[in-house]
Amino acid sequence: MSETISPAERLKTQVELLPILVRAANVAGLAIVILVLVTIVASLAPGFLSPFNLFTLTRNLAIDTVIGFAMMVVLATGGMNLAVGSIGVCSIMFTGYLLEGLGLPIVVSILGGLAVGAILGWLNGILVVRTGIHSFVITLATASLYFGAMLILTHAEAFRELPDAFNALGKARYGSYSALLLVTFVVGASLFVLFKYSLIGRQILAAGANPVAAKLSGTPVDRVIVIAHMLSGLCAGVAGVMVTARLAAALPSVGQDWLLPSFLAPLLGGTLLSGGVVSVVGTFLGAVLVTVLQNGLVLLEVGSFWVQFFLGLTLLVAVALDRWRSVYVQRAGLKR
Amino acid sequence: MTASALLVEKATKIFPGVKALANVDLELKSGEIHALLGENGAGKSTLIKIVTGVYRPDEGSVSVMGSSVDFSSPRDAFAAGIGVVHQERNLIPRYSVAENIMIEQLPTKWRLIDRGEMNRQAKHWLGALDLNIDPDVPVNRLSVAQMQLVEIARALSQQSRILLLDEPTASITENEIKVLFDLLRRLKGDGVAILFVSHKLEEVFELCDRVTILRDGRNACAGVPIEDLDKQRVVAHMVGREDALGDIGERHASIGKVMFELKGVSTAAGHQDIDLKVHKGEVVGLYGLVGAGRSELAKAVIGAERVTGGEVFVSGERATVRNVQDALRRWRIGYVSEDRKQEGLILLHSVAKNTAITVWHRLGKFLNLFSDRQERDAIISFVQKLDVRTPSLEQDVANLSGGNQQKVSVAKWLAAEAEILIVDEPTVGIDIRTKGYLHRLVWDLAEQGAAIVLITSDLAEMVLLADRVVVMRDFRIIGNLQNTYNYEQMSRRIMGCIHEADVVVGRADGAPALKGA
Amino acid sequence: MTWSHVSRYLIRAEWAPLAGITLFSIVALSLIAPAFLTEYNLFVMLRILSVTSVFALAQMVVIAVGQMNLAVGAIGGLVAILFGGMMEVYGVPVPLAMLIGAAVGILTGWLNGAIIAYSGINGFVVTLAMLSVYTGLNYGITESIPFYNMPQVLLDTYDGKIGPVPNILVIPLVAAALVGLFLFRTRAGRYILATGGNPSAAALSGISIRRSVILAHTVSGALAGFAGMVAVARLGTAEPTIGVDWLLPSFAAPVIGGAILSGGRVSVIGTMVAVVLIVLLENGLLLARTDPYYVQFFLGVLILAAVMFNRWRAVSAEKVTAARENAS
Repeated sequence: MSETISPAERLKTQVELLPILVRAANVAGLAIVILVLVTIVASLAPGFLSPFNLFTLTRNLAIDTVIGFAMMVVLATGGMNLAVGSIGVCSIMFTGYLLEGLGLPIVVSILGGLAVGAILGWLNGILVVRTGIHSFVITLATASLYFGAMLILTHAEAFRELPDAFNALGKARYGSYSALLLVTFVVGASLFVLFKYSLIGRQILAAGANPVAAKLSGTPVDRVIVIAHMLSGLCAGVAGVMVTARLAAALPSVGQDWLLPSFLAPLLGGTLLSGGVVSVVGTFLGAVLVTVLQNGLVLLEVGSFWVQFFLGLTLLVAVALDRWRSVYVQRAGLKR
Repeated sequence: MTASALLVEKATKIFPGVKALANVDLELKSGEIHALLGENGAGKSTLIKIVTGVYRPDEGSVSVMGSSVDFSSPRDAFAAGIGVVHQERNLIPRYSVAENIMIEQLPTKWRLIDRGEMNRQAKHWLGALDLNIDPDVPVNRLSVAQMQLVEIARALSQQSRILLLDEPTASITENEIKVLFDLLRRLKGDGVAILFVSHKLEEVFELCDRVTILRDGRNACAGVPIEDLDKQRVVAHMVGREDALGDIGERHASIGKVMFELKGVSTAAGHQDIDLKVHKGEVVGLYGLVGAGRSELAKAVIGAERVTGGEVFVSGERATVRNVQDALRRWRIGYVSEDRKQEGLILLHSVAKNTAITVWHRLGKFLNLFSDRQERDAIISFVQKLDVRTPSLEQDVANLSGGNQQKVSVAKWLAAEAEILIVDEPTVGIDIRTKGYLHRLVWDLAEQGAAIVLITSDLAEMVLLADRVVVMRDFRIIGNLQNTYNYEQMSRRIMGCIHEADVVVGRADGAPALKGA
Repeated sequence: MTWSHVSRYLIRAEWAPLAGITLFSIVALSLIAPAFLTEYNLFVMLRILSVTSVFALAQMVVIAVGQMNLAVGAIGGLVAILFGGMMEVYGVPVPLAMLIGAAVGILTGWLNGAIIAYSGINGFVVTLAMLSVYTGLNYGITESIPFYNMPQVLLDTYDGKIGPVPNILVIPLVAAALVGLFLFRTRAGRYILATGGNPSAAALSGISIRRSVILAHTVSGALAGFAGMVAVARLGTAEPTIGVDWLLPSFAAPVIGGAILSGGRVSVIGTMVAVVLIVLLENGLLLARTDPYYVQFFLGVLILAAVMFNRWRAVSAEKVTAARENAS
C-alpha cells in the first residue's frame, strides 16, 4: 500500500516511471504495429520503398496528420469539429482566389487562407460557447453552412492557374520524402509545446476533462474552448493550403471526405473522445498507420475498394485494445 | 419470533482507496420497521445498494426469506421482492408521474402500453399517500417534495415484502410525513419488512422497532431493540466515543480585522439580504439543512453564480467578483467544493496538475510557457505540507483515496495563496484518521491568518471547529451563534434556530450573538 | 393576447412553431411559384420524402437512447446494393429480397449495438468504425459499379397509385406511426427513452441499459436498411453511393424536430415535419432557380436557427418553472 509510505521521501526519490510507461504503452504499441505493417508491406510489395511511393506516401501522411490535429485540438475540450473538411475547403478556395483572382504574393495568400480557417473555427467556438449547444450539432450545421457559402461565392469553379512557385511547394522533397512533412512537424511541435508547456494548453485539457472543476478553479472555460476551436480551424486551414499545393489547384470538391481521417488519426493515437487527454505523437502515428495501411492495400492489389473496410476494422480493434488496456491498468492500480 | 425477511452477513465492499463496508451485519424481520443509522459516509447507502443489486459485495452474503441470493442487477432484487427508494432522485425526466410509478411493471394490452390502466393503478398508489396529483403530469413539473412522494409511491406499487427507504423524509413536510408513517405502520401490520434510513432521530424513535447503526463502514450496533436505546446512546454509537472526532489540540484563535464582508447580498440563485462578516483568523461555520442555500452562496461569492444585489467587501475594499478567475487572482478567495469528484478535482489528471491549476497563470514567463519542473517546484511544498499520500506527483488523482483527494483539493487553494477560504463539507466520505487531520488543518489555516468559512452538515464537526455558527434556511441567514463548544447546548440552539426561524430573524453581522453567547 | 401567453403557448406545443413555419413555407411557395402545387412537383417531393423520412427515423431511434448512429447511411447503402444485387444477379423475387434486405439491416444494426453494449466503447466511435466497415464491404462487393436492372414490378409499385393517392405516401406515414407506437406505447420503447433520459435512474429501476442500447441500434439498422431499399426503388438502380449523403439530413431532421442529443427526448411528429421542411427547402430553392449550392447553405442556417430556438425555448421553460416554484 502506498498509503503507509512517507510521501516526502517518495516524492523525491521516485522518478515517475510507471505513469509514463502506462501512457507510453499506447504510443509504443502503435509504433510496433506500424513497424510490423511496414515490414510486411515492404517485403511483399517491393514498390513500397521506391522513392516515388515514399514521396506520395509522406505527402499524404503530412496532410492527413494535420487534418487529424485539427480534430484532436477540439477533442481535447471534449467536443468535436465536424466542420474540419468544410473549413479546409474554404481555406483552399480563399487561398486560390488570393493567388489567382487577386494575384497576391504567395506568403500573403497562404496567410489569408490560414486566417479564414482560424476565423471560421473561432465562429464555431463562439456559437458553441454562447448557445450551450453541443459542438456536434453546431459544427454539423456550420459544416453545411460554410461549404454552401463557399459554393455560392465560387460558383463551384476551381482555381487551376496557380503560380508555379506555389505549386512547387507541393513537389518539394527532402531526399525521398515530401517537404510538406516539415510543415507537419512544425505544427506538431507547436501543439506539443502548447499542450505540455503552456497555460492555454493546460487549461484546454482541464476544461475538457472536467469543465465544472476547471471553472471553479479559475479556468476561463469558455475562452479556452473558443481558442481550441480557433486552433482547430487554423489546422484545417494549414491542411487546406497543403492540399492546394499538392493538387496545384484549388478545388471545391476537396474536404468532403476528411471526416473519417480526421477522427482516425487522433482516436488511433489515444486521444479520448470525452476530452482532457491528447497525444500529439499518437495522432501522428495514427496517421502513419492509416497512410501505410491505405498505401499497402493498394500496392498489394487487395483492391482500393477494400481500404475503407480495413480502416474501419483497424479503428475498432485499436479502440477495443485501448479500452481493454485502460480497464486492465485500472484493475492493476487497485491491487497495488 | 418471525423469520428474517432479509439477512446480510459480514458484507464487505471495497472501493478504490476506501473500505466502504467491513463485515457488516443487518437482519430485517417481517413485520418490523428497522432503522439504519449512521453519519454521512458511514456506509448506509452502500449497504442499501448491495441489498438492491446495484453493487456486489466483495465478501459476505445476502439472503432473502431464508434462501441465499446473489444479485447481479437491480432487476434481480426487484424479482426477489425488494422495493427501494434510493437517496438520490431516480425519476425519468419528462415521463409522467404514472409512468415513473409503474416503470417496472407497465401494464400492457395487445403488447401496447395501456395508459388508462397505468394511470388508474398509479392513482391508487398516489391515493395511498394522500397525494392528489394528476398522474399524467410529467415529473419535472413537480416540486421536490412531490417527486420524493412519487418515488415512495413507486416503491409501494411493487407491493414488495421488503421495503427499503433511504432518507424518504428528507424533503417532505410534516403532514406528508404523518401520512407516510401511518402507511408504513399499516404495511408493517401486513407483515412487510421495512428498513428506514433517516437523519432525524425523532422519527426513528417514533416509528422504528429495532436499530442498526453503522460507523465508518462497521456495525456500531446491530438489531438493537429501540427500547434499549435513548438518543444519547444512539448519538454515541453514531459518533463513537464522546471525543470520537479525536483530539486535535488547542485552538489558538487570534481574530483580526474584518477580512470579508457581505452586506445585503442577493443572488440569482435566490439568496436575499445576506449579511455576513468573517474576520482574519476566524472560522465561521455556515450551518443549515440540505437545500438551505449554503453551497450556492459560496458559489456566488467566488463568481460562479450571479450576485444580483448588495455589496461585497474584501479587506474593507469594495469587491466586484466577475468570475472565478477574478476571485482567485484579485481577491484571493478559494472554494473547496463539497463534490470532490464532480467539482473539485480533475480525476483524469495528475496530482501535480490538479494542485497547480490555480497557479499556472503565474508560472510562465515567455508566452506563458512553463515546464513540469517549474510546476512541481511551485506546488510540492503544499503537497508535502498537507501530507498527501501518493506514490508520485504524476499519479492520477482518481487513484488516490478519498482523504488524499480531499487534501489535493485543499492544497490547490493553499498554492493559490487564498486568504479567504470557503470549505464545503470537507470530511464527507473520509476515514476517521484523515478527518482529524483535516480538522486540525482548518484551524492551522485560520491561525496562519486566513479567514475561513466552514460549511458542514455534520453538527459535531461544526461544534468542534467553528468559532461562530451562522445558520441558514431558505436562502436566508436566520441566526448567528457564538460557539460554546458544548455539543448538546449548541445542537439544541441551532435546531431551535432553524425551527423558530419564522419567529426570530437574526442577522449574522458579527454583532453580539442572537440568543445569548 | 400578451407576450407571456404567446411564449407559454410556444413552450407547450413542442412542434407547433415548426409546423407553423412549414405551413407558411408551403403557402408562400404555392403563391410565389406556380409550379410548386403541380401534381408532378408534389410527387417529386414525395419521392424524396419516402427515403429521407425513413432514415431520419433510423437516426432518431438511436438519439432517443442517447447515442448516435453514424452508420445509418452505410447500412442503407449496403442493404441497397445487396437488395439490388440479389434481384439482378440471382433473380430473387422482390418480396424475398426485401426480407433478406431487412434481415441484413437488422443484423448490421444489432452488431453496432452489441459491440457498443458489450465493449463499453463510445457509440460514436463504434458507429464511425462500422460506417467505414459497411461502406468498405459495399465497395468491395460492387467495386463501385451499380446494379442497373431492377425488376419492373418494384418500380411500378413504387410509382403506382391507388386512385389519386400515390402508393409511396404509405411509407412515411406507416414508418412514423410504427416508430411512434414503438417508442411511446411499448415497454421496450419506453425503456429506450428512459435509458436516454436518465441512465442511472433507468438502471436502478431494473431496466437493462445494455438491452435498450442494442434494441435501439437494431431498430435503427432495420429502418436504415429499409430506407436503402426504398432508395433503390426510387432511383431504379442499386447504386453503391446510396447513403453517402444521409449523414447531415439524418441528424438535421430529428434535431430540428426537437430531439436532444443527450437522449431521452425525441419527437416523431417533429422529425417528420422537419423532413418535410428540409424537402421544401430543397424544392423551393430549386423552383426559384437558384444555384443548387444554396441548399447546403440554407440547410446549415436552418439547423442552427432551429437548435437555437429549441434551446431558447427550453431555457425559458426552465425559467417559468423556477418562477412558479418561487411563487408557491
